[in-house]
Amino acid sequence: MSDGGSSADPTPDGGVVAADAPATRLHDGGTEQNATAAGTDDSALARLADSSLLTIARREYRLAVRSRWALGVALLFGLFTTAVVQFGASSVGPGRFDAVIATIAELGVYLVPLTALAVGYDAIVGADERGSLELMLALPVTKGRVVVGTAVGRAAVLSGAMLLGFVPGALLTVRYIGLGSVGQYAAVALAAVLTACAMLGVAVLVSTVARTKTHALGAALAIWLWVALLHDLVALGAVAGFDLGSGAIAAAILLNPVDCFRVLALSQVDVVAGGFGSVLAQAGLTVPMVAAALVAWVVVPIGVAAKLIQRRRL
Amino acid sequence: MNVIEVDGVSKAYGDVQALDGLSLSVEQGATLGVFGTNGAGKTTLFKLLVGLNRPDDGSVSVAGADPTDGTAVRERVRYLPEHAGFPPSLTGREVLRFHARMRSVPREDRAHHVERILHTVGLADAADRRVGGYSNGMNRRLGLGTALVGEPAVLILDEPTAGLDPDGIRAFHEVVESLAAETDVTIVFSSHALGEIQRLCSEAVIIADGRVATAGPVEELRRAAADEVTVSLSLASEAVASDAATDLGDHEAVSSVSRAGGDLTVTTAPTDAYDLLTAVGEGYDIDRFEVREPGLEAAFHEAVGADDGDDPGSDSTAAAAEAATEDSGGEPA
Repeated sequence: MSDGGSSADPTPDGGVVAADAPATRLHDGGTEQNATAAGTDDSALARLADSSLLTIARREYRLAVRSRWALGVALLFGLFTTAVVQFGASSVGPGRFDAVIATIAELGVYLVPLTALAVGYDAIVGADERGSLELMLALPVTKGRVVVGTAVGRAAVLSGAMLLGFVPGALLTVRYIGLGSVGQYAAVALAAVLTACAMLGVAVLVSTVARTKTHALGAALAIWLWVALLHDLVALGAVAGFDLGSGAIAAAILLNPVDCFRVLALSQVDVVAGGFGSVLAQAGLTVPMVAAALVAWVVVPIGVAAKLIQRRRL
Repeated sequence: MNVIEVDGVSKAYGDVQALDGLSLSVEQGATLGVFGTNGAGKTTLFKLLVGLNRPDDGSVSVAGADPTDGTAVRERVRYLPEHAGFPPSLTGREVLRFHARMRSVPREDRAHHVERILHTVGLADAADRRVGGYSNGMNRRLGLGTALVGEPAVLILDEPTAGLDPDGIRAFHEVVESLAAETDVTIVFSSHALGEIQRLCSEAVIIADGRVATAGPVEELRRAAADEVTVSLSLASEAVASDAATDLGDHEAVSSVSRAGGDLTVTTAPTDAYDLLTAVGEGYDIDRFEVREPGLEAAFHEAVGADDGDDPGSDSTAAAAEAATEDSGGEPA
């Protein structure tokens, strides 16, 4: 290996150990100084593509696609929207599209957070258990960027798969109701995607602080139970029992991304469904306000996770 | 010039004191072998050197900077963890490409750079197979490959040959020897195979209970631990061996002699070994002989105490095997 030649020896692994010296390779294979020099010639787009955050996000995207999560999520939402639109919009009646949206909102509060939590709960702790997190954190990238890159990659997969899943429902909506309904349907789909990204952020936060994948899974299920069921029960109980003002109701909605989704979805129709939706009118919330809250639900948990990973014991 | 400076570093995990005032310095271009009992603090030390953890007390400097201060140190340092793993759905080539991109290897050189590393670590034929189908040894080779990406100034390798087959170990040895001979790369690696450290390292440090038990050039450590060589002889029969043992027992240069069947084991000063062999050869037919110098195993036992329960049992075997192949020995003329 010291002669810098190019002959090779076979090994039992089926691999070939090159006879060229690593030292030669290191000088021949490119240096960080070269990188800097060459970087000046690269286009801004190429440099952006090679940024550490996007490189991590791209790898995470590729992993999620190969693990067939993307396919599963697309199929799940495809079946969901197809079934809802087929059974809702094909029936006769003036409020049939409203019923479709209301059904998506009511069933989506279970499906959207569950899907997002399932996609994100092992983002960090899974890599740690596999032994790849330590290797990743030894690269010249801050720990926070690793978290953000991972979240961005998974969010891209989740968003893409969900939007794909909403397509069959959109086609059926056009068929049964007409092109005029597509805008509202798309708004609901985007609200679902934004909510999924918010719950994914929560899942990444859980994954960052959990010691094991089992703990992360347990915490994710507990969070799902809270946002999909318990939060509304507690909020409704408080509203009914203590005669709370509109500020408390608004806070209760904004503190739960799933309720934010319900508000955004139901804002697309005239008829307001029952449950927590019946008190929305008193809350004084606007669509931009709720959308901003959802964006905060995306950013804040990931930001906290990026901070807390500094404390993670490796 | 020291590229690594560790000064009075302590690190505890709950009640467990992993490092307890450890101090260490490594010169640029040195190859340092780190060994010690399990739980001595080697991995904790490595994590501090890469900036994965912060010390509770003391200071760490690598390449002139604090490893926890930004990414400057990690741009120059490569670290292979003991339990490095990779996403199973990626191929070996994709893993290395990812590291090359993260290490800012120029886009136009990337494919060639990765190809050469794959050849160096012996994974060229498995490059496009998914890592999930790799054996443990192939995973270790890939881990070593990630440490070679870019232009490292310091390599920190935590038990790099654990789980490797003989070809993998040979490839690792060749990589280290080549880097040590032809570059200014500082290499720090831990191993329980003392023979490996003896062969590859210019310096060695023994860590026990979170502190440096002893450190220095490998040759000095070997000689300081024991000043006698062991001569092993195989004679024609038990009777001949018994007579030879009696004669050797009267020899003033012999410190001790023991017999097992037709085999004799004699300890003596290095300068007397040749005379001793000549004396025995004149009186008896020697089938085979071997002269073994004191190894790092002796230094290890002296540093951590021979009674410690956490002996690197398998290491002794490895060291002995290594010594047997390196030391002089063979058929008498």
